[in-house]
Amino acid sequence: MENNKNELFTFAEFDESKSEHIEAPRYSYWKSVWRTFVRNKFTVAVCIFMLIVVVFSMIQPIFSQYDPMYMPNINDATLKFLGPSSQHLFGTDNFGRDVFDACWAGAKNSLIIGFVCTLINMILGVVIGAIWGFSKKMDRWMIEIYNVISNVPFLLLAMVLSYVLGSGFRSLIFIMCVTNWIYVAYFIRTQVMIIRDREYNLASRCLGTSTWTMITKNILPYLISVIMTYTAREIPANISYEVFLSFLGLGLGQQNASLGRMISQYTTYMNAYPHLFWIPVSILAVISISLYIVGQALADASDPRTHR
Amino acid sequence: MSNKTNEKEVLLSVRNVDIAFDNKTGIGKKRFRAVKNANFDIYRGETFALVGESGSGKTTLGRAILRINELSTGEIYFKGKKISGKLSKEDDREVIRSIQMIFQDPAASLNERATIEYCISEGLYNFHLYKDEEDRIAKVDKALHDVGLLPEHKSRYPHEFSGGQRQRVGIARAMIMEPELIVADEPISALDVSIRAQVLNLMNKLKDDKGLTYLFIAHDLSVVRFISDRIAVIHLGRIVEIAETEELFKHPLHPYTISLLSAVPMPDPRVEKSKKLVVYDDSGRDLSGEKPILQEIRPGHFVFANDREMKEYDAILKEMEAKEAKQ
Amino acid sequence: MSENKRIILSAKDIEVQFRVRDNYLTAIRNVSLDLYDGETFAIVGESGSGKSVFTKTFTGMLESNGKITNGSIMFEGKDLTKLVTDKDWEGIRGKKISTIFQDPMTSLNPIRTIGSQITEVIMKHQGVSAAEAKKQAIDIMNKVGITNAEQRFDAYPFQYSGGMRQRIVIAIALSCHPDILICDEPTTALDVTIQAQVLQLIKDLQKEYKFTTIYITHDLGVVANVADRVGVMYGGQIVEYGTVEEIFYDPHHPYTWALLSSLPQLGVKGEDLFYITGTPPSLYNKIKGDAFAPRNIYALKIDFEEEPPFFKISDTHYAKTWLLDPRAPKVEKPEVIQNLHEKITAMTSEGGAYYVKQD
Repeated sequence: MENNKNELFTFAEFDESKSEHIEAPRYSYWKSVWRTFVRNKFTVAVCIFMLIVVVFSMIQPIFSQYDPMYMPNINDATLKFLGPSSQHLFGTDNFGRDVFDACWAGAKNSLIIGFVCTLINMILGVVIGAIWGFSKKMDRWMIEIYNVISNVPFLLLAMVLSYVLGSGFRSLIFIMCVTNWIYVAYFIRTQVMIIRDREYNLASRCLGTSTWTMITKNILPYLISVIMTYTAREIPANISYEVFLSFLGLGLGQQNASLGRMISQYTTYMNAYPHLFWIPVSILAVISISLYIVGQALADASDPRTHR
Repeated sequence: MSNKTNEKEVLLSVRNVDIAFDNKTGIGKKRFRAVKNANFDIYRGETFALVGESGSGKTTLGRAILRINELSTGEIYFKGKKISGKLSKEDDREVIRSIQMIFQDPAASLNERATIEYCISEGLYNFHLYKDEEDRIAKVDKALHDVGLLPEHKSRYPHEFSGGQRQRVGIARAMIMEPELIVADEPISALDVSIRAQVLNLMNKLKDDKGLTYLFIAHDLSVVRFISDRIAVIHLGRIVEIAETEELFKHPLHPYTISLLSAVPMPDPRVEKSKKLVVYDDSGRDLSGEKPILQEIRPGHFVFANDREMKEYDAILKEMEAKEAKQ
Repeated sequence: MSENKRIILSAKDIEVQFRVRDNYLTAIRNVSLDLYDGETFAIVGESGSGKSVFTKTFTGMLESNGKITNGSIMFEGKDLTKLVTDKDWEGIRGKKISTIFQDPMTSLNPIRTIGSQITEVIMKHQGVSAAEAKKQAIDIMNKVGITNAEQRFDAYPFQYSGGMRQRIVIAIALSCHPDILICDEPTTALDVTIQAQVLQLIKDLQKEYKFTTIYITHDLGVVANVADRVGVMYGGQIVEYGTVEEIFYDPHHPYTWALLSSLPQLGVKGEDLFYITGTPPSLYNKIKGDAFAPRNIYALKIDFEEEPPFFKISDTHYAKTWLLDPRAPKVEKPEVIQNLHEKITAMTSEGGAYYVKQD
């Protein structure tokens, strides 16, 4: 007993390299993003819901083969303005078309246009904005271009272009991308300028790192979360734009199913057959809001300050 | 230190360097001279310290050597070749590789989104300083080992490390370039007291092993005494005194150097409590006579003075030397 | 220090916890301290040792996620740990116990004139008229060494240099004649020459106003300059305390040894400095035994098992290390810090500076 006690009063071994060891589990950026994202059960639920809606709107039109120009029941009054039933889940419209099929075909187009436009705008905007933020020479004339473009009303431009190009899928995407990337680019430029002169970039310069490597390795990884935030806003905004332009008759033509066109056509029946108007509006709202919530949650999760 | 006097090779030479910035804030356009007519040589294999307080221009001058700040006038030579102004592409790359920097704040100077492996390999990638992947990894492992870190750290991110470890990553990343000159800008002042010593030891060890030359920028004379061979004291952009370390500590001449020396806190309560402060005040000085310049008063000991002051300093020096001879 | 010292503030078994997300961090682990009237007590330690947190409990300035979970702080017959609202603290915080922080800009409002910021404090705590407050303000500005105080009264903080700003912060802290002045790294952000002047200023003012000072610093040179007594903090505890001479000339805790011997001032060129390996302990985990043990080259086996108690070295000097237990092997302090005073006097001239004195 006594011996045992005295044993405690002898020197312990001392190992220097042990003190360099890091106990904490390995950090991985994307794993942490994932962990932070799934921690919030509500957003995970919304995300699952959103995925179901997206997948459904991509698949359902394949089976329904919905075509807005195909109106076999146009002369059968008994099949017009039907309320929701097991036969027609969302009822039928003034031409006797099935609203359920129309909604999903429209949603599919809206989603495709929203995603494609966002993708084009973000890619152009991020690449150009990143270079813009670095190059002083480019900044001088890009600012002028930005000033000119941002002073032209978008609606005016959209009207002129849609008359010139005609309505349709491609021309709508072109209209929605031709100038909008510059706002993304301007935003990225400002973000780049904020972190461009930080010390770690100076350190990279001292190591001889090229500007392009600095952009891809030093700047963009820091911008992931702001880019995510921007994208999260951009997708629903583009969907709304599509709907808005189609509503005005500037977007997709008669031949394409479109939520915007449906809403504009059914406005007339708002009092007599309110479900015709409210169903496409609700679907639009559900898609936009769930996309926005998921996007924001992803943006938050990609900010390393939330990691732990 | 003894063999240094025989054959000293000048590695870096700063000649009549002025660095001015346009100060556009406020009313009118003012030019602010951050560095005024700096002149000094750094010999191969030595640690040359540049000591001054905030706003003295020491960091500006250090960054000018790395060619981050442009010179207004004057030249900087590295191994006899002019490196200020425009350089050919090959020379530019060669100079970038040969002159490396250690930063003050290791948290701010490492890319937080890159692994330690990338941070250390960055220079290797830029200059293709490796034969193949295997060679690169071997070099990274060796660099980590040299600064006392473990190979398992490679896949970690900077924020997982302590301040001292991060600073050693910063040192490893500079060392892997096999530079000849390292500009260390206050490398320990952002670190905790308990780990400063480790970084200083490491810098000394690497210098001996790899035959490096350091330009050590600091505000603290106590650190500089331990690490440097020669010291230049800079005050408001002007180098006021240059001397070998012991000479400067024994025979400081310029009143600013004296005030800086008196302000170094000593870890001894009796000494510290009986200490008298020497406050440097430019306004009270007799500035009569011609314009002062940096002149050599004893071999290797330069002081910023005019001829009248030189005579006074000489008299003081003689007195001090006589006193020491007696002891 | 005289024998019949009056205790002005007494902290007992203080424990402070912070809630960080889902974890609890114990920043202060059972720290006791008696503060004597008129003395200067320095708390020295590295970042994360809890030195700032500890003194923040004296003024109820813990961050909102922090809580005193145990202990008492007696000041003028009141237990400060029981005070909660700002109203409870009225008359103590800023009035009887003032704090000076590291960065003067955090305590000054950048868009108000210096003068209005000083007079505001004077009027609030003393209830005097604006004219009287201005008179007092200019008076105290002169005291802290601001030349032409009348003219600089209406200047804004950005028009002052860093050292000047810190003088203003000192002026504000002293304007209501506190009993205790807490200086939290007051000179860390300042240049060495300015630091020396500010330390001198605080000492001079202490003589005149007779307040008690607590210094929080990581710089042993500053401690040697200002302190009467010193407490060395590590891992949320005071591990050794004593008079300043005891701590510097006769330290007993291995952490104090390590801190002293790693100072570059004591370094001999061409030889390695002593250094401490590793990092301070994570205070999220429960600490078993002595918190310093993993970094301590003198660690005993028992250090990893059981927390050491305070061992008495003299009436004023205590250290929390098993090395002082009679059963422990005898260990001399490291060579570098033996005969510290002789070494430093050899290095410096009379007057404490490095150079040979010129008359």
